[in-house]
Amino acid sequence: MQEAIPFRTYIPATATSGGNRKFPPIGSATTIGGNVLVPANRENYVQKLVLENSVIVFGKRGCCMCHVVKRLLLGLGVNPTVFEVDEKEEAAVINELSNINGGKDVGEVGVQFPVVFVGGKLFGGLERVMATHISGELVPILKDAGALWL
Amino acid sequence: MNSSSTQFVASGRMGMYEPIHQIGMWGENFKSNGISNASASIFIAGNLNSSQSILMAADTKLDNQSEDTSQGTLGPSSKYDLEASKPMDKVQRRLAQNREAARKSRLRKKAYVKQLESSCLKLIQLEQELERARHQGLYIGGAETSQMGFAGQIISGIATFEMEYGRWLEEQNKHIRNLRNAINTHLSDIELGVLVENGINHYSELFRMKAIAAKADVFYLMSGMWKSSAERFFLWIGGFRPSELLQVLKPQIEPLTDQQLLDVCNLKQSCQQAEDALSQGMEKLQQTLAETVAAGRLCEASHMPQMDTAMEKLEGLVRFVQQADHLRQITLQQMSLILTIRQAARGLLALGEYFERLRALSSLWVTSSREPA
Repeated sequence: MQEAIPFRTYIPATATSGGNRKFPPIGSATTIGGNVLVPANRENYVQKLVLENSVIVFGKRGCCMCHVVKRLLLGLGVNPTVFEVDEKEEAAVINELSNINGGKDVGEVGVQFPVVFVGGKLFGGLERVMATHISGELVPILKDAGALWL
Repeated sequence: MNSSSTQFVASGRMGMYEPIHQIGMWGENFKSNGISNASASIFIAGNLNSSQSILMAADTKLDNQSEDTSQGTLGPSSKYDLEASKPMDKVQRRLAQNREAARKSRLRKKAYVKQLESSCLKLIQLEQELERARHQGLYIGGAETSQMGFAGQIISGIATFEMEYGRWLEEQNKHIRNLRNAINTHLSDIELGVLVENGINHYSELFRMKAIAAKADVFYLMSGMWKSSAERFFLWIGGFRPSELLQVLKPQIEPLTDQQLLDVCNLKQSCQQAEDALSQGMEKLQQTLAETVAAGRLCEASHMPQMDTAMEKLEGLVRFVQQADHLRQITLQQMSLILTIRQAARGLLALGEYFERLRALSSLWVTSSREPA
């Protein structure tokens, strides 16, 4: 049965322990389902991911800041896809991301992981997420991108 | 002929010795007072011993000037012929003695003052070191920190921060007083606006200082040792909770319009969510750090691969402090956007006074806990 997503609910913390990184799918139609992806084929994979997900977070494996972004977005009722980047893939991923629309800033010294893409475009890092959240701009942006349903 | 250590006054051509009252301490450097007589010098009896040795020394230098030099006698000088100029002699001698005494006294005073100055400097140095040591629980002399390399950097980074924080607190008290006066004297909105902006910028200044200190020693910052004990009780990632800020402000800024009420409510919720996200991130950091440190076989504590991983994780702490401070800053800024200038002024004043009272509470607590039960 399709469960209605209440606006701004807190998702119960069932999937937050260190080992298990799968997110319970909440039934949103457009996202892949919020699962953590370990892609086999790198060709344009990253690009496809960005375009296909309304919200996707790229973070280094085991990074706690990435966890902060995840928790924040989850708390808003968003089901973000999380792409965990291995150290070895880091350069390649950054390279691909910089080719994406609006992604050219990734890979510059200032931008560091975690980095969030919303609606196929680069959104920013944790600081931007926090700032837009406090100012109240984040939720409308997420809604526009289809990541949030009323 | 004059010697540097001993000299004699000869009246006329003969050396004349008279019992002379002790004037003062016998000085080593002893110049001729300008009596033109080639063998003129002043003989002053110090204590018996010194005068004896002086006499001895003098004797060896005298070349047949006195007919009857007695070794170590200080008796009346009736052995020598008295010249008619005896009264003049006495006067001259007395003058010379006075000059000598004055000179000696000046030298003594100079030495004393120099000693005082150096002791004073040393005292100031010691006090500074003690201050630093009291804060850091380490006693290290000033000169040594520069030789300690990286550890010295940490200590000097912390010492710098503490000094700057002390100054920040003084500035903060000034800001609070200005705000209070401005509100009580009903200054114009423009002037109030300037004060509000200065107030918020002052907090930004603190966050800037903390960012630098975090790079030097993030644990120190997280410990909150630089804050008073009551403030430390409420510590959250190296500072105050942003949601606490809103709690303090709320009663002071009423009455609010409906729109303002809604905005404040939203801000409160967003703030809480952001705070929770950061707290959860911190928990995860602790968890993974604990796992990292606990992993591996039992062997020596240092130089294990997981230590490198653990070190990397600790670097993450610096980012947490930065993000927490960032959240504090944007919460303050958003609040100032929602409120009118007058409300914002009252809010800032309330916030400043709140922390001031916490600090006062800390001092009160310390003094009261010292009293016997």
